[in-house]
Amino acid sequence: MIDRATAPLVSVSGLQKAYGALQVLQGIDLTMKPGERLVVIGPSGGGKSTLLRVMMGLENINGGSITFAGKPYIHAGATPAKTAIDVQVRRSIGMVFQHYTLFPHLNVLQNLILAPCKVRGEKKSAATERANTLLIRFGLGQKATAFPSQLSGGQKQRVAIARALMLDPKLMLFDEVTSALDPELVGEVEQVILQLARQNMPMMIVTHDMWFAKNIASRVLFCAGGFIVEDGPPEQVLGAPKEERTKDFIDRVFHIRQ
Amino acid sequence: MAPLDFSVLLRFQDALLTGLLTTLELTLICIVLGCAIGFFVGLARTSDNRILRGVSGFYVEFFRGTPVLIQLFWIFFCLPLLLGTELSNFTSAVIALTLYMGAITSETFRASLRSIGREQYDACVALGLPRWTQTTSVVLPQAVLRAIPTLLSNCISLFKESALVSAVGMTDLMFIGSNISNNTARPVEVLTAVALIYFVIAFPLTRAVTFIEQRILTKLAV
Amino acid sequence: MNYSFDFQSVTRNFGPLLDGLVVTLQLTAAANLIGLTLGFVVALMVMSRWGVVRWPATMFVEFFRCTPALVQIVWFFYCVPMLFNVFLGSVTMGIVALGLNLTAFNAEAYRASIQAVPREQLDAGIALGLNPLQRILYIVLPNAFRASVPVLLTNGIGIFQQSALVAIVAVQDLMYQGKTLATQTYRPIETFTIVALIYFAVSFPVGQLVGYLERRRATLAE
Repeated sequence: MIDRATAPLVSVSGLQKAYGALQVLQGIDLTMKPGERLVVIGPSGGGKSTLLRVMMGLENINGGSITFAGKPYIHAGATPAKTAIDVQVRRSIGMVFQHYTLFPHLNVLQNLILAPCKVRGEKKSAATERANTLLIRFGLGQKATAFPSQLSGGQKQRVAIARALMLDPKLMLFDEVTSALDPELVGEVEQVILQLARQNMPMMIVTHDMWFAKNIASRVLFCAGGFIVEDGPPEQVLGAPKEERTKDFIDRVFHIRQ
Repeated sequence: MAPLDFSVLLRFQDALLTGLLTTLELTLICIVLGCAIGFFVGLARTSDNRILRGVSGFYVEFFRGTPVLIQLFWIFFCLPLLLGTELSNFTSAVIALTLYMGAITSETFRASLRSIGREQYDACVALGLPRWTQTTSVVLPQAVLRAIPTLLSNCISLFKESALVSAVGMTDLMFIGSNISNNTARPVEVLTAVALIYFVIAFPLTRAVTFIEQRILTKLAV
Repeated sequence: MNYSFDFQSVTRNFGPLLDGLVVTLQLTAAANLIGLTLGFVVALMVMSRWGVVRWPATMFVEFFRCTPALVQIVWFFYCVPMLFNVFLGSVTMGIVALGLNLTAFNAEAYRASIQAVPREQLDAGIALGLNPLQRILYIVLPNAFRASVPVLLTNGIGIFQQSALVAIVAVQDLMYQGKTLATQTYRPIETFTIVALIYFAVSFPVGQLVGYLERRRATLAE
């Protein structure tokens, strides 16, 4: 029998993705264990956001495959359009985007309960109760009937996180979720994610915020040119990188000039 | 020239009112029917089915690419010949203006469907929403909301275009106005009054469009 | 349906239709000339800071946008000669009426695109030390003109279609010739279909061009 604590949650092998002639992911191999919190850093255009979008099943792929919790999830086909994505498996993954992507015509509560009611056939009353609990936990108890346009960026992003959690995901993907926020609002969103981290929620995070990366990561990947250049614990990748490219990048984002 | 004498209008106020009611009735019927057609044609134009796309595209382009007057004449003079039955003035006018309204509102619906960003579809996938829920709970409500201001503009256009039915002898506001003007030889007073009646109805509606547009854009701004 | 088509009776009489098309194109070209130039002036007046300039211009625009074009044309043909004691040739009258209508719609298009120039662009102009005139000449107008081209084209082809209305006041344009021919030949279906196709053949390419320009702008904006 496979040991549940060490069996991989995600395993990616030979993942390739191209936009036309542009190779964005050039054969990624990656395994992620349950309870791990992967932070993906790297220069723009290095493939980190694409990796997350592929994980969410938002993109067709050109080669390779992904298994999730032991089940086949995504498999490349003869052409990118024939990529096989298991929709049932996809439902156990949640994602939060840079630009909130709340549904503007629905209020906060309606945003939260739409998927549970429609996807799982949950009763409206039960979903509402769970939604309210989540909102209170995230400091949004007063905002249940507000519309997205009436919220600050930080509030919107917390609602987006709550909305994703309503489906009890087994893995959460965060794609630059604080990049569009005013600096003073970044903290409240990061606190919510740290709170999830303390409950051992497996997650993959793309971020430019090195302080946040250091605090939340159990493992850091440095992605550039469509490859994983370096992969290790945060102290190593952020503190004493082995690879020259990682070192260059870290130096530049921390403004260290020698 | 003879001094202006607006009292002539008082003598004919009942006739003008009857004409206005015909204009409004015609406009309202065509708004309802035209919007219904426009909604489905708008969907058909964004469909994956090539035949559906081709037929709906041809319909819209043809009605947007020809004068409403000729559409009206065609339906008024030609359709009865083809069908081999008489069509009343009112029926012909309703058919013609409905088809015109259907064509312009379908463009409105199509544009608002296309204005929904890629991220909204991504969010639906990330939440695992089935295709049907995505369409009925996320895409269509937003598309309809976004379409409202332009739809209202379309209604105002239709209201104005409806004056054309006077050319095929339907007794709408314009027809009665020109008749009175011819009979009394007082075109300045009568035609100005007719123009003002159209204006008094259309103008507040155009203001409403601007107001509603701002409200909806603020609400949907995310 | 047992109607036997006879397109020959129309094609034999193609001469008058072509004459009509020439008149229609003249009307369209002249009205566009007026609309494009006068429309710009009126747009500037609408945005003026002086009420005396702003109010008449605004009234002009709103009045022409909120009344049926047919009413405007009929009003022009009957009332202008009485009020001002002038009667220009009927084509000239048609041109002026259509030209003023287009002026109102184009003024609105110019205004919207001028006001849509982002505030930051002007701020950048100030920061670069450009004076107010330079900011208008080098920043606002180039931006605005490019943005307004699709709408101006749409309005321009719209007036091509609206020009059919002058047939009602006996200007011998394409629509008028079509109507006459339909009566003479007793072949309304064939005649009106061909007339509609002629209008369509001119409008459709322009519509496609507008679509292309808008798509290109959208891609450039990304």
